[in-house]
Amino acid sequence: MLLTKQQKITLYTNLVRACTLDRMMMRIIRTGRMVGFYHEGGIALAPGIAAGAFLRKDDIMFPHYRAHGIAHMLAKGIDLKHYVAEHMGRVDGCCKGRSSFHVSFPKDHVFGWSGNIGSNFPPCVGYGLAARYKGTDQVVMNCSGDGSYQEGRAHEAMLMSANWKLPVIFWCENNGIAQHSPLTDLFPVSDISRLAQGYGIPSKIVDGQDLLAAGEAALEAIAHVKAGKGPIFIELKTLRVQEHNVGGLNNEGATPRDPKLMQEWRETRDPVKIAAAALLKQKVLKQADLDRIQADADKEADEMDAWCEQSPKATPPVSELLAGVYAA
Amino acid sequence: MTAGIRELTISEAMKEALADEMRRDDNVLMLGISIRAGTFPHTKGLYDEFGARRVLDTPLSETGCFGAAFGAAQEGLRPVLDFMYAGFSYYAGSEVFLQAGQYHFLHGSQHPVPMTMIGTCGAGRRVGNEHATLPYGALIHHPGIKVCMPSTPYDAKGLLKAAIRDNNPVFFLWHTTMMTVKGPVPEDDYVVPLGVADVKREGSDVTVLASGLQVHRALEAAETLKDEISVEVVDARSFEPFDLPCLLKSVEKTTRLVTVDEDFERAGFAAEVSALMMEHGYDLLDAPVKRVCHPPIPVPGGYMDAYTMPTTERIVAGIRDVCR
Repeated sequence: MLLTKQQKITLYTNLVRACTLDRMMMRIIRTGRMVGFYHEGGIALAPGIAAGAFLRKDDIMFPHYRAHGIAHMLAKGIDLKHYVAEHMGRVDGCCKGRSSFHVSFPKDHVFGWSGNIGSNFPPCVGYGLAARYKGTDQVVMNCSGDGSYQEGRAHEAMLMSANWKLPVIFWCENNGIAQHSPLTDLFPVSDISRLAQGYGIPSKIVDGQDLLAAGEAALEAIAHVKAGKGPIFIELKTLRVQEHNVGGLNNEGATPRDPKLMQEWRETRDPVKIAAAALLKQKVLKQADLDRIQADADKEADEMDAWCEQSPKATPPVSELLAGVYAA
Repeated sequence: MTAGIRELTISEAMKEALADEMRRDDNVLMLGISIRAGTFPHTKGLYDEFGARRVLDTPLSETGCFGAAFGAAQEGLRPVLDFMYAGFSYYAGSEVFLQAGQYHFLHGSQHPVPMTMIGTCGAGRRVGNEHATLPYGALIHHPGIKVCMPSTPYDAKGLLKAAIRDNNPVFFLWHTTMMTVKGPVPEDDYVVPLGVADVKREGSDVTVLASGLQVHRALEAAETLKDEISVEVVDARSFEPFDLPCLLKSVEKTTRLVTVDEDFERAGFAAEVSALMMEHGYDLLDAPVKRVCHPPIPVPGGYMDAYTMPTTERIVAGIRDVCR
């Protein structure tokens, strides 16, 4: 499906914003102001931007934890300052500072997550089931990485979504490495999307460094599930050039990854650079536009950081916490 | 309770609650393994009335099934998930223990999760641990999930309705050996609120707290001892929230407490009740609290679970022990 000029500009702008916020998150954790951990996005954020780009407010999304879903949710139109504040343990956090890193935007149909890899799969079956039950045309954007497909939950969700023909998009951002182990050590095949065939789910492999290709794949996937054809599996090949989480190892198996290769990927496989070159060539944007988009993103990040910083640290009494366990 | 009403089995009472709730609220739907054919009688016939949209047979994928219910609840439905045996819910251990009840709090108490889980449990069927295990001790250890278990058809209907109408995850347990136990059940729409215990027999010398099948064994023990000890039997009905005021009121009168718990003794519900009594009712007691539980061994098969689980004889002995 071809993208319009405006769609391309929005995709690019949001990718720049997400990468800038990813660097802001790194600043926040490195200056000791983040309460939990952070899993840097690096050059792996194009799939997330594409995943969220064409969703309605009532479409359901489970963001991937890479860059803690910043790209996914930003593209879906969610105001992220409350999410950043959550990472800083502040009262304005989206979970009132109780979670360190959880998303919670129920009005935007991003319901939250867990610290367990693969926890996205079971509820995404339920989101799809609810859409079918209510007769809406909501889609479920179920985003996770290659590691999550090592969980049995993934297979149960593919089975159930396929069997019930639910509108679930299995959006697999495959960066080839889970924690500190390369996929080649953990998976018998290199393309995770091959798993989908066993469940009768159509699949497609996309270059996840190519923002525009990822965007087109998202549009196609949404059209597929909206047509009532059941789930679809999109595998986006992406890259991780840094450690799993901040302060971790940048290993591939027992062998440290070659810093030269990481540098090469940063220079040649950065989705911002790839998309910028394409949009300049297509005369969609000029260099001055690119500069302005980056300047606006920098301003947004600085303002967000400052806004979160002024929010008080959340340290409510236990009595208040006890009152929050059950819904009325 | 109205006089002269019909008698139903616990299964029939549960089916009535499910059908009633599905009729009154289109957001209520039911999922589970072979519920359409009706592995157990409580779901038999529901498919005929409500059809494939609202009564869904699931694959043998407990974690996926949990998610189907949990996600649907987040999207505004009120799903009822039947695990068949409660022990099978442990397949979805992370989801049940770490997510179901903890989601609401951890996400800023902004969004309720109205889902009901059903599972049968209890020893005495000679089928061993997975089919017998009673999960309420483990469940209530984890904050945020409500847990109940009826001992009568009346309570089964009322508790299940309360569970379905609750805006939180509720695990409704029922005892495997009691599916065909009969009792009076009004046709009216009524609920037995979660967190309200029930005095099933009044007495003045000792309180026996029990639930499910063990309520009946406690009543038998009370009958056995009626000429020497006056036993009050309190049916917990809910483990969380637990009706501590009702128990304290009873012990204030009797000054003695035996807690009967078919779950494992170590760190279980009975232990929790003992601790609550120490903290809130120490001055009421004339004797130490006595536990009658399943010993800390796996629930065995063969001929053994008949005596490893609490029996009427063991309850009688426990009562005598605190009334010396």
